[in-house]
Amino acid sequence: MSNTRILIVDDELIMRESLGGWLARDGHDVEKAASGEEALQKLETNRFDILLVDIKMEGMSGLELLKRVKENDPDVDVVMITAYGSISSSIEAMKNGACDYLLKPFDPNELGVLIEKIVERQAQAKENLYLKEEHRERTRFESMIGQSAAMQTVFDFIQDVAPTDATILITGETGTGKGLAAKAIHSNSPRKEGPFVGINCGAIPEHLMESELFGHQKGAFTDAKENKKGRLELAHGGTLFLDEIGEITMRMQIDLLRVLEDRVFYRVGGTQPIEADFRVITATNRNLEAAIREGIFREDLYYRVNVISFTMPALRERKEDIPLLADHFLRRFSQETNKPFDGISRDAMDEMMMYEWPGNIRELENAIERAVVVGKGKKIEPGDLPIFRPEYREPPPKMSLKEMEQTHIRQVLEETDWNIARSARLLEIDRTTLYSKIKKYDLQKDR
Amino acid sequence: MAGSGRIILISPVGDVDPAVCESVRAEIGRVFGYPTTMRPLLDDVSFAFDANRNQHHSTPILEKLDALAPADVLKILAVTRVDLFIPILTHVYGEAQLGGRASIVSLYRLGEDLSPAAGETAFLKRVKKEAVHELGHTFKLLHCKEKTCIMHYCRKISDVDRKSGELCRYCKILMGDEVKRLGGG
Repeated sequence: MSNTRILIVDDELIMRESLGGWLARDGHDVEKAASGEEALQKLETNRFDILLVDIKMEGMSGLELLKRVKENDPDVDVVMITAYGSISSSIEAMKNGACDYLLKPFDPNELGVLIEKIVERQAQAKENLYLKEEHRERTRFESMIGQSAAMQTVFDFIQDVAPTDATILITGETGTGKGLAAKAIHSNSPRKEGPFVGINCGAIPEHLMESELFGHQKGAFTDAKENKKGRLELAHGGTLFLDEIGEITMRMQIDLLRVLEDRVFYRVGGTQPIEADFRVITATNRNLEAAIREGIFREDLYYRVNVISFTMPALRERKEDIPLLADHFLRRFSQETNKPFDGISRDAMDEMMMYEWPGNIRELENAIERAVVVGKGKKIEPGDLPIFRPEYREPPPKMSLKEMEQTHIRQVLEETDWNIARSARLLEIDRTTLYSKIKKYDLQKDR
Repeated sequence: MAGSGRIILISPVGDVDPAVCESVRAEIGRVFGYPTTMRPLLDDVSFAFDANRNQHHSTPILEKLDALAPADVLKILAVTRVDLFIPILTHVYGEAQLGGRASIVSLYRLGEDLSPAAGETAFLKRVKKEAVHELGHTFKLLHCKEKTCIMHYCRKISDVDRKSGELCRYCKILMGDEVKRLGGG
């Protein structure tokens, strides 16, 4: 997991610098803004986990900034910073959605505890999302499909490397099917009778990662009520797939390197060395060489995982596979939803062939799933694929981000006939967030 | 000023017991593996004094130390008896330039809650731990989650007593990486 990203908003340089310095030494990624206006600009292009906002600022006040931030993203955690004597403003801030406040200068104890508490809560929320996503992933991408030259090269490569026990690094953009390729290698290897154990290193909160990978002994920490095997142990005799390896922390990189070198590890709280025999396949959409240059990925680990590597082609590089993939997804979703379709119209297919698919196969899959849900005819038509609607491709000029979000949420709700669970899934947000956005924009079902 | 040398300078600021400085110097040499030397760079830190808080702001002291230290000095650890603060916090035991050259540790609060029986040895242990901790930041080490690691951030004095005088295995490796990057220790 990447570090906690914190935005400090304070019009006093000295405060920004001292707070920023302390948080950096505590291992957080810190950005600073000298005003509410600058903070809003930064928020347009960056995602932050926590905002630390001074209440009293020249220009836009901290309270005004809080309101604006919460309008755009009710889930972001905002901590207000205040001086003695302005407690009433802090109480008002809490009523407006601030998660806490600090009186400056803070006691070092207070600041550390507060940040830790927020990070812990956010990690818990991420864990819940991960568990949901993991469940969903199990039902997706059941096979690799493709007749293009690019995919034939991939198939040939898999055939060649599968019988060996070499460590493999699979690179490629998000949604290109790196996990599928890893499974295909495993299925064609001498370890195919053994387990295929995957872990998404980018989705598991840092505090759970160690126990997930290495397992733990009963009593190793508060929640360790029983002994638990980690994924390394579960992968014994089979293949360990480390997805999104570019996202793991420096500490975990050190642990992984040691395991990959020695093939021996310890459960958390354990004293017995455990030997595990597994093949390692890793995947990433990051440029690891650039990450090494930035100092966020260890060079020694890179050489350990990058014995053999290959890149999964982007969907735009193998457009001839689109009809085959689209047809496959159509049949699957048609069956799942019990809505029979004859196929995809020529116009819809032409549009699909012209589109660049930045989200790759996953985006295509989502588009077909959506079309099956909203489609009224026997064939999928361009209008059933929201990404091809004129308003999607050419957003009306001068529409604010807020208006755009409101319009998009309304469209999705109408398309699903206000099915909250399905809408939340299509929007890739949780239901609580969807409910809060419906309330915020005062959206109502047409009667 | 960037330090291209290989020496760690221990620099007493004001009136500091030479025995304490010597003890710190020996510990820094043991943990970091670099040659050390002891020399005052700065005697008067009144420029950093804040009359409202009756404390000294540590950040400008670090900047001054960095400017004053000769080029053959790789890192500086200053030792002072004055109470230090950074504007956002009520107090600090020390401060360091993350990945930079200068660090400082204050003895002012490290004598708190010491039982008379614990004596000088316990006080020295605290000073050495916080000195290594602050200097560790100049080698790019961040606060560590391991409660026993010397890079663990201590919110109160009992935390300082609880942690060990050593880097955990993660911090040791990260420290080794940085030493290698700097060209050996």
